[in-house]
Amino acid sequence: MKKTLLCALALTLALGTALPGAAALTKGPAAGKTVKVGVIADVTGSGAVYGTMQRNAYDLANDDVKTGIIDAGGANLSFDVEDAASDPAQVVNLMQKFTTDGATPLVLGPTLSGEAFRAFPIAKAANFPVMGTSTTAEGVTAIGPTIFRDSLAESQAIPPTVARVQQTWHAKTVAIIYGDDNAFTKTDGDLFAREFQKTGASVVDTETFHIGDKDFGPALTKIASKKPDAIAIGGLFPEATQIIAQAGKLGIKAHMLGGNGLNSTQMYQTAGPASLGVVVGAAWFIGGKYTGNLEFVKRFKAKYGTTPDQFAAQAYAAAQVVASLVKAGAVTKDALLAGLRNVHVVQTVLGPIAFDQNRDVRAAPVVLKIVKGGFAYF
Amino acid sequence: MLAQQLVNGLFLGAVYALFAVGYTLVFGVLDILNLAHAAIYMIAAFTAYSLVAHGLPIGVAFAGGTILAGTVGILLDRIAFAPLRRRNAGTLVPLISSIGAAIIIGAIARGIYGIDERHFVDGGIDSPPIHIGPVTFTAVEAIIFATAIALMLVLSYVLRATTLGRNIRAVSQDRIAAALLGVNIERTIAATFFIASALGGAAGILTGLEYNSVSIDMAGSIELKGLAVIILGGMGSITGAVIGGFVIGAVETLAVAYGLSEWRDALTFGVMFVILVARPAGIFGARALRNA
Amino acid sequence: MTFFAQFYAQHSRLLDEIGINALLALSLSVSLQAGQLALAQAGFAGIAAYVSAIASMQYRWPLFASILLAVACSTLVAALLAYPVRRLRGIFLAIATVGFGEIVRVIVNNVSITGGAEGLSGIPNNVNTGIIYSGLALVALALFGLSRTKFALAVALTREDEAAARGVGVDTGMVRFASLALGGAIAGLAGALYAHAFYFLTPADFGFPRMEEILVWCVIGGVTSPIGAVAGAAFLSILPEIIRGLADFREITNGVILLAVILFAPSGLSVLWRSRRATVPRDA
Repeated sequence: MKKTLLCALALTLALGTALPGAAALTKGPAAGKTVKVGVIADVTGSGAVYGTMQRNAYDLANDDVKTGIIDAGGANLSFDVEDAASDPAQVVNLMQKFTTDGATPLVLGPTLSGEAFRAFPIAKAANFPVMGTSTTAEGVTAIGPTIFRDSLAESQAIPPTVARVQQTWHAKTVAIIYGDDNAFTKTDGDLFAREFQKTGASVVDTETFHIGDKDFGPALTKIASKKPDAIAIGGLFPEATQIIAQAGKLGIKAHMLGGNGLNSTQMYQTAGPASLGVVVGAAWFIGGKYTGNLEFVKRFKAKYGTTPDQFAAQAYAAAQVVASLVKAGAVTKDALLAGLRNVHVVQTVLGPIAFDQNRDVRAAPVVLKIVKGGFAYF
Repeated sequence: MLAQQLVNGLFLGAVYALFAVGYTLVFGVLDILNLAHAAIYMIAAFTAYSLVAHGLPIGVAFAGGTILAGTVGILLDRIAFAPLRRRNAGTLVPLISSIGAAIIIGAIARGIYGIDERHFVDGGIDSPPIHIGPVTFTAVEAIIFATAIALMLVLSYVLRATTLGRNIRAVSQDRIAAALLGVNIERTIAATFFIASALGGAAGILTGLEYNSVSIDMAGSIELKGLAVIILGGMGSITGAVIGGFVIGAVETLAVAYGLSEWRDALTFGVMFVILVARPAGIFGARALRNA
Repeated sequence: MTFFAQFYAQHSRLLDEIGINALLALSLSVSLQAGQLALAQAGFAGIAAYVSAIASMQYRWPLFASILLAVACSTLVAALLAYPVRRLRGIFLAIATVGFGEIVRVIVNNVSITGGAEGLSGIPNNVNTGIIYSGLALVALALFGLSRTKFALAVALTREDEAAARGVGVDTGMVRFASLALGGAIAGLAGALYAHAFYFLTPADFGFPRMEEILVWCVIGGVTSPIGAVAGAAFLSILPEIIRGLADFREITNGVILLAVILFAPSGLSVLWRSRRATVPRDA
């Protein structure tokens, strides 16, 4: 009798561990409870290039929770993505809806920093936990004690990147080109100037552009006439790819670098050989061997046909952080808020994540360079 | 450096001019400001991209995209403007109608292509820089410039020397008189929309090739600039649109060259505003369609 | 009572938006009723929003003083704008005013006192729904009062046929000037209230896309009807939330609604309460 029981037990265990992902289907204190996290993203409109990546990441996360790849301790965790259509009014309405519907315990997003400044005060007033995954402008987390952020701020990314490239390049002169109508790109411009000057280089030319600009001939011509050793780009990848491509067309040979905004495989696709060697101070490396990262990239590519970019990775990482809190039993807004405040380290596709006392992510940038078809360590 | 900047301005201006020419043609003939022109510019670029992605050579894709643009133009007129003409609805109503049409075209494009930027050639179009004295440009840029100029010359020829051109000019000057003289008004208007939209579409395809990039937000960036160009040149004047295109291209380029980059748009619209106040007819005056 | 309290807690921001959008729509409607397609109201609202914000943040002016100053500024700018555009009609006036709006946006984007591209945050959040709707009621009352005067008649005559109006002795220049200035004042009120209700401003808030939106509200509601303007603003502000379920089809729905109204119901929503077909100005 005992032998049969023992055999049955052994068989069950063997079968259990053989099933894919079954080992991760643990049962935490929140097992069986439903947790619906609200997400605000610009799936349509001017921010769609970024918001769609985020939505795709959350949809993948939903799948992964169901199959156990993301371990939520048996809870019925899902991410409900709502489209704010890049309309500030809709961002505000969605935040109000989520914070007052009584069923949502936490909100992730919105996509753009400007939107965060509008929406986060609502969360603060409601003592409601929110996490930004792409809102990297100055002052976002300072809005209130319930605001967290898993995306590396520009002020965290740029200084180490500049210090690192100067060790190799020793550039004496640098030109800076940045977007003047966006908080993110403007911050980049200021930071690059300051950090290069700290290393003893002088800024020989500063040019500005607008989001949506395609023609950088005039600005690059001017920069070329000053013959800088390096060109720093404060921009997002749609404009950055054009800048790099057109610099190539004009025969410019200076070193080039940029911040977070350039972390997309679109760079090589659009700009081609001109983009080889461009340095990117990024928050995430697509080839980085962090826990589950390479598999995440594979699953994302299989589901959507394109590789994920940094926006997707940061969104997915946020999902992972929330899942780890839910697994530990936090299902209400107060429990999740306490969880975020006390989280030690969560292993994500961005690497290990923890928050500092300002509720910003505690991390350093990874300095990459563009190679054919992707990125490599600089 | 100035020589290079002038070349930059020329290349930029050529495509602005090509875009504006279609804009102003419709206004000259019909008194309609067609705000869906930029959407057609964008969808032509996507069409050419699709054809190239299916393996067709770029010349064929260019022709295909241009013809599609022209056809969309005719459809646009049938759906959004012709019913209003029958109703004698004035100038404000077609403007709003064109806004609605632009939104719909944009939504269709987004539905088919998504929000990602598309590239004609992954990894960049291989065209090494050519150096002539102080000036550098690529063969592709030169071809784009030449194509834009060629198209505008073709238009000028059509308007001046063909029956269709004569009819278009007649309708723009006095529709009733033209009808009395036996001109088929609706067919002429359809032809006008075809030509105008085809040229706008061509501008879109050339822009896509220039930057190796086609995306939904192409429309937004050229929309208002096109307005400044046609005001400067004189609404309804083809020559004006061409000259206006080069002037605005020069204004933008020189603004950057002289350190005024963030005031670029203000300068462009400032020029436009001054023209409207001082000489609303623009450089080439009057609302009748002029010979090119 | 709790139902209303719950409803308000969930939708107060939307209600605030509707109130401000209604004011913006009225500011354009005033010009449209005079037959002028003056598309500068977004610019006026933007100027007032920043003036009010800066006055209360930098100079610590109390709320109502800031708002008054802001409205005075926007009205002044509108009055000044009226002069150079006095001879422009139809599309030309529209384009000139759009150009004006773009110039304002660029200036706001480039000077430091407005916070530039990064925007102005931390504006004192001391305007609530009550204040917004009081402002709206005030303006509605004022416009209603005006509609009973001879001025209203002069406005209608100018819209229908400017030459004929002049022929019967209407000072059309004065009508055009007054309607633009009045539009500037109302838009200014909307902008100032917006600044304090939504506590964050960027230059893009009052650019051409915004102006297009306001125009669409007025057209959907009924171009010559002030009630229509308010109705259009309210309807289109709520619409994104109602059709949220349509997800990716929201955008095309907007375009289809616009086209459908233009083609089949050019008097817009006002056809619901107007006994006879309103005349849409030919050369607005």
